[in-house]
Amino acid sequence: MASSMAAALAASQAAAAPVPAAPVQPAQEVIPASWAKLVDSEAEITLRVVQLDGLAVMKIMKHSRDAYPSAVNGILLGLDLDGVMEVSNCFPLPAGREGEEESVRPSSKYQASMLRALKEVHGDDNVVGFYQSTAMGAFLSQSFLDLQASHQKSLRHGGIALVHDVSRTARGNTSLKAFRLTQAFLGAHKARKFNVQGLIERGLTFNNILEELPLQIHNTPLLDAFLLTLAQPTVPHTPASLYPTSSLSDLPPTNQPLTPTYPILNTASTPALTHNLSLVLDTLDDYNQESSNYAYHQRQIAREKTRAEAYTAKRKEENAQRVREGLPPLPEEDVSRLFKIPPEPSRLESMLLLGQLDGYSKTLEDVTGASMVKIYAAKAGATAA
Amino acid sequence: MSLGRPSQAVFLQPPTATSAPFANRPSPVTSVTVHPIALFSILDHYLRRDEKQDRVIGTLLGSRQDGEVEVKSAFAVLHAETAERVAVDMDYHRTMLELHQRINPREVIVGWYSTGGNLNNNSALIQGFYQHETAPHPAIHLSLDTDATDGQLGVKTYLSAPVGVTPKLENCVFTPVPCTLRYTNVEKGGLDLLSNAASSSTHLAHPEREMEELEKAVTDVVGMLDRVLSYVQAVLKGERKGDPAVGRYLLDTLSAEGPALGRKGAEALIGSQLQDTIMVSYLASLVRSQVEVSSRLALVT
Repeated sequence: MASSMAAALAASQAAAAPVPAAPVQPAQEVIPASWAKLVDSEAEITLRVVQLDGLAVMKIMKHSRDAYPSAVNGILLGLDLDGVMEVSNCFPLPAGREGEEESVRPSSKYQASMLRALKEVHGDDNVVGFYQSTAMGAFLSQSFLDLQASHQKSLRHGGIALVHDVSRTARGNTSLKAFRLTQAFLGAHKARKFNVQGLIERGLTFNNILEELPLQIHNTPLLDAFLLTLAQPTVPHTPASLYPTSSLSDLPPTNQPLTPTYPILNTASTPALTHNLSLVLDTLDDYNQESSNYAYHQRQIAREKTRAEAYTAKRKEENAQRVREGLPPLPEEDVSRLFKIPPEPSRLESMLLLGQLDGYSKTLEDVTGASMVKIYAAKAGATAA
Repeated sequence: MSLGRPSQAVFLQPPTATSAPFANRPSPVTSVTVHPIALFSILDHYLRRDEKQDRVIGTLLGSRQDGEVEVKSAFAVLHAETAERVAVDMDYHRTMLELHQRINPREVIVGWYSTGGNLNNNSALIQGFYQHETAPHPAIHLSLDTDATDGQLGVKTYLSAPVGVTPKLENCVFTPVPCTLRYTNVEKGGLDLLSNAASSSTHLAHPEREMEELEKAVTDVVGMLDRVLSYVQAVLKGERKGDPAVGRYLLDTLSAEGPALGRKGAEALIGSQLQDTIMVSYLASLVRSQVEVSSRLALVT
């Protein structure tokens, strides 16, 4: 899986390098000199941009929409070449129930058999990351990060995560974003250190868990040709007598691909806003609960600590007393064994909740910003009329 | 919208017999709608074919409702064909079907696709196989003309009917069925993005910001209004002969605006919506700054 074309190229080049030309097997292609710098078997060329194929875009959209409003994920397939991660295909994964450990295994089995099947028809079978659908912009979650962190180990370039916001795409604003984890988060994840100290050391907030990669859309030439065919107005061949008038065809033909519908011009954003606001409230509740949990843990720790300190102080006093009375002092017992001081709770959960809140309110800001523009435009139109 | 050039064929349906022997027969297929993703998968499969393969085939998945077949997705199937014989990898077909149905249990086999515009004896044999898979419903056959025989990448769909005195698998007649493209509003967003890429000179597109998208939509609509306006004025001046069809379309479009609110009503409506929006916007930025402060505070304790 990890072997990619670049790696294969590197291997063939290594074979060719010591003895030029003659002993190279005819089946192996010699890499032209201009390509040699692109050979990147160790994934050293840093990723600059993610390039998404039309097929993958549509598949992600279909899968996310079919399952809406529940979030779905799937596997991205492709190759990286000279800093461009080319995602050419993808396939959905069966929905596992949230928070269920067993759901991991069937989906990896599913992944393996799907990859085998795709390989048979010469499809790409090189996993480069995964995609995740979301609604209203909050996608940060424990499972998202765990999946990405597991990819980070097994995939070239650590894999990418693509987030598709269905609710915004439905309003005419295609929302696709590519991410990968930052070094700061990876360090914390590897050390499993999400307590306050660990966060301070790395300066980790929800803002720097992920870094965004620029994304571009690219079609295969055949798909380009097909789309341009779709954009061509089809002139009916039916005899003119069936249609008494020559219809709209004597207006100059438009250059519109497909039929434009302009969902983006819809000014009624209220239903989406209500839903979004209630999601914000829900997350706030969750956050509140999480922080009171945290406070409870803190108090627990503080209480145990004072008890332990009181015990040692008492023991010291007692020993001083015994020394004065000429008795041998009692042994200093291991305090940590007597009192179980609970470990400091992880702040990851509350950090993620904050991240979700930020995502929701960012979507709110974007939507309201755009709809204010639209309303003002409508107002200008209404008063001018 | 329709795909490819309309055919001149007349498709005759046998009358739906309600008499006893035909009572529980499925309703005949009258039209086929295809989602773009199925066509895109077919094109991708064709691009990845073996060098010596002339055409590729695969299975179409979708749903049926009252004689309308909706093709929602497609997957590739291995096959080999020579002039005399044709082999379809059944095991592969079964495996893929099972994998697909675990994601989308509601999608069933509705037929098969092939690329290239030609129908031959082998097509009839494969059709026979898929008929068997989709029984009692008829299987549809979609052909995507990758050779562009009539100048474009046309899509045609067919049904088959047995022909001849003794029914044989390789004897069947393919009758065309009307086929249209259908997309949901989510898919439309994606299609727009892809066609931006197709028509740009670099063959690349970027998911746009909302404002750019809005600007483009407004300019487009303004352009259309200008065109209609100039046409109407030309007709009024008598420079052009008015077209009743255009007039009818314009009337329908303009009267679909809903009840006239009057200036007062419109302003009140806009005003209240504006207030709501501004309130939500303030709230959102308040939440964001609180969240930001809170996450920073977690770092200083």
